[in-house]
Amino acid sequence: MVKRLSDMPEVEAHHLRRIECPTFDDTPALPGKPLSQRRVALISTAGLHRRGDRPFRPGDGSYRVIPAETPARDLVMSHISVNFDRTGFQQDHNVAFPIDRLRELVEQGVVGSMASMHYSFMGAFPPDAAEPHAQHLAGLLKQDAVDAALLVPV
Amino acid sequence: MGALGHFLERQGIPTASISLVREHTETIRPPRALWVTFELGRPLGIPDDPDFQRRVLRATAELLERTDGPLIADYPEEVAEEADFTGWACPINLMPQATDTLEAEIDRLATWHDQSVARTGRTTVGVSGLDMPAAGALLSTALAGNLPPAQTLKEAVDDLRAYYLEAASAFPDPGTSKKRKAWLWDETLFGKALLDLQPKLVASADPQLRILGNLTLIPATERHRLAKV
Repeated sequence: MVKRLSDMPEVEAHHLRRIECPTFDDTPALPGKPLSQRRVALISTAGLHRRGDRPFRPGDGSYRVIPAETPARDLVMSHISVNFDRTGFQQDHNVAFPIDRLRELVEQGVVGSMASMHYSFMGAFPPDAAEPHAQHLAGLLKQDAVDAALLVPV
Repeated sequence: MGALGHFLERQGIPTASISLVREHTETIRPPRALWVTFELGRPLGIPDDPDFQRRVLRATAELLERTDGPLIADYPEEVAEEADFTGWACPINLMPQATDTLEAEIDRLATWHDQSVARTGRTTVGVSGLDMPAAGALLSTALAGNLPPAQTLKEAVDDLRAYYLEAASAFPDPGTSKKRKAWLWDETLFGKALLDLQPKLVASADPQLRILGNLTLIPATERHRLAKV
């Protein structure tokens, strides 16, 4: 069971400590509608895409589009890192990309609706490389009437 | 991950993130994060446990209604380590033998990979666009000293890794994922090939091949094996 870095096997903790995290001025958390009225998109950083889409490359800050109706059998992962488990995703895509769980929360009325398009970045991006893509994506999300994004790492 | 929270929220899209590494999230300070103690690669916790996954996703989504960020909420549920039913033994002899080849090993696993696909209805193999014999041939060519472009090699190797682990998940007594990963490194010619390839990449004049050799070929947890080669 993983807790803090200090509880992890040292070789893994060492790897994670070496990752340089960017710092930002605080971003105010925006108010919004109740969850039951929001239209929600999933944004993964697992390097996911449809088979046949361009695989991710080192330094790649761009994203891939995953339409809501994408069959699970079409999803592949080209994250460059080898330092996380992939067998969970191989067994059940929802453990990294919970698209079916989001659909169920909508059916239960917990979440208002789900976006027609979902997205994946590849988490090993330099922030400067991803920022223009994220800004562009925000505009697309608004066009899809999305008013919240759930960000899922890997 | 946290950086995207800043970028999107500043453009008017409210965000809530799952956090797998609390120390990283404490530095990046995204608007809203739910810290979970799960294994890296499994942000929703447990494969094939929809109820568990839905609770995690719901807890993440419910943070959206809070405006007192930057905030990190601690998710209360933990995941017990996979039960290890010992007695796992590979049903086909994959121990490297003097006369064996990587190509033969890949071929022997095909029927098990077919079983895996039949059971799950999917495979995550298919980033490189190569079939597995061709991916194996590419790796063998690289081992012989004829190094392909780094991206081509990386995609072929990652596809092979997925193929081996998916195949092993269909063995009659598949054991835990941890055991299957150890099997890949301890008992397969593929694992040995990656360890043999690494120093060739590091010695290459091509910076992309050196990055592959130094960072994205061998997991940090397996690098201790390099000294043995």
